[in-house]
Amino acid sequence: MGDSQYSFSLTTFSPSGKLVQIEHALTAVGSGQTSLGIKAANGVVIATEKKLPSILVDEASVQKIQCLTPNIGVVYSGMGPDFRVLVRKSRKQAVQYHQLYKEAIPVTQLVRETAAVMQEFTQSGGVRPFGVSLLVAGFDDSGPQLFQVDPSGSYFSWKASAMGKNVSNAKTFLEKRYTDEIELEDAVHTAILTLKEGFEGQISGKNIEIGIIGEDKIFRVLTPAEIEDYLAEVE
Amino acid sequence: MSKVAMDVPAKGGFSFDLCKRNAMLAKDGVQLPPFRKTGTTIVGLIFQDGVILGADTRATEGPIVADKNCEKIHYLAPNIYCCGAGTAADTEAVTDMVSSQLNLHRYHTGRQSRVVTALTYLKKHLFSYQGHVSAALVLGGVDFTGPHLHTIYPHGSTDTLPFATMGSGSLAAMAIFESKYKEGLTREEGIQLVTEAICSGIFNDLGSGSNVDICVITKDNKEYLRNHLQPNPRTYVSPKQYSFTKKTEVLLTKITPLKEKVEVIQAGDAMEE
Repeated sequence: MGDSQYSFSLTTFSPSGKLVQIEHALTAVGSGQTSLGIKAANGVVIATEKKLPSILVDEASVQKIQCLTPNIGVVYSGMGPDFRVLVRKSRKQAVQYHQLYKEAIPVTQLVRETAAVMQEFTQSGGVRPFGVSLLVAGFDDSGPQLFQVDPSGSYFSWKASAMGKNVSNAKTFLEKRYTDEIELEDAVHTAILTLKEGFEGQISGKNIEIGIIGEDKIFRVLTPAEIEDYLAEVE
Repeated sequence: MSKVAMDVPAKGGFSFDLCKRNAMLAKDGVQLPPFRKTGTTIVGLIFQDGVILGADTRATEGPIVADKNCEKIHYLAPNIYCCGAGTAADTEAVTDMVSSQLNLHRYHTGRQSRVVTALTYLKKHLFSYQGHVSAALVLGGVDFTGPHLHTIYPHGSTDTLPFATMGSGSLAAMAIFESKYKEGLTREEGIQLVTEAICSGIFNDLGSGSNVDICVITKDNKEYLRNHLQPNPRTYVSPKQYSFTKKTEVLLTKITPLKEKVEVIQAGDAMEE
């Protein structure tokens, strides 16, 4: 295949019709830490591993799950710094939407605008694609929603999804355990079990992060103590 | 016109005695004193637990009352509110914009907004427009460092004060504050004093009127007392509707078509392709 000759330039298609840089970006995502999301009947849960490079890192200062608006949260797999930039842009877009329409931005609109930003970086000069895939969890008037956004700028709505290192095992596990009527509490347990499947070492409240949004439509990240409670229930 | 004796007392109405003098002064280059255009009384004071803001509710368009019950106390953050005098569109747009900026800032820092942050956003914006954004603001709030009260002028200068008034009724309100303010007021005393100051503006300034709005901000709580006092109710409303007498008499209900008057000028040629 002559693909390798086309892999240096982002804005050039390869003969097989692929943009090789985006493929590489997806590989970067695939080697990132596992994250997953589950849409329940009455809410959404997103979770991720929080493996720090050394025990000396102050784990309380690292927060991988971020809030975009009071009712929308996001988690990622891939490069942390790229994630920070996207979170900043998304928050600004949400606030600008509110300025214009005096209404909280619907989840689909925010996902669309974030995906548009990611797509811009695949068609401009002198930039590279974002090395992250996002899982956006929100609850608005259309109910609970879970979206995945890829470096190419494509987005999908999922009932349950996983990204990162252990993606195939995690997705198989989720396919087996997911039902359409699953409740938020069960979804949290399922999320923990899914993370546990591929977890190296002892899982605890300090090396995973969980964010939930329920019918109160307020997104929040669980404290390590709350995660320990859920872990105890799962045992 | 008969000559009027100088020692006859004036019968009422306008006295034209000084008009000749004014005309003479104008000829010498002396100008009339300018009148302020902001029609509002807004006040703020710091009491023992936090900040109390007060405002009247009249919006004027020149000599006409455009809104008898408008809201002059604007939301900036859960712990910061801002009263606005000047052009209503300017105060609303500026406070709305800074409220959005503070919202974004809260996401980035993960902390409660500080009053000085709001102050700096506002004064930067107003200064960059060199006074063309006609917004005079009284900014008050309670944050981690304690209660704060500031005034911001349209050109971008600010003051930090324990009690402040702005708008055309500010002198009337300041007279009340200067005589009755003391440190360590309780909530009831503070609300009473602010109400008095706003009422002084309402009754003594033409540009202010209608009701009193109050906002009490403390460390963990805020209370927006909309129309806390309504000293200007409509006193008499007629129970039956107004009936306007029919002045026009119907003489005839018959339609007479008018005859068409058509003038043929010239038989035109067919349009050329």
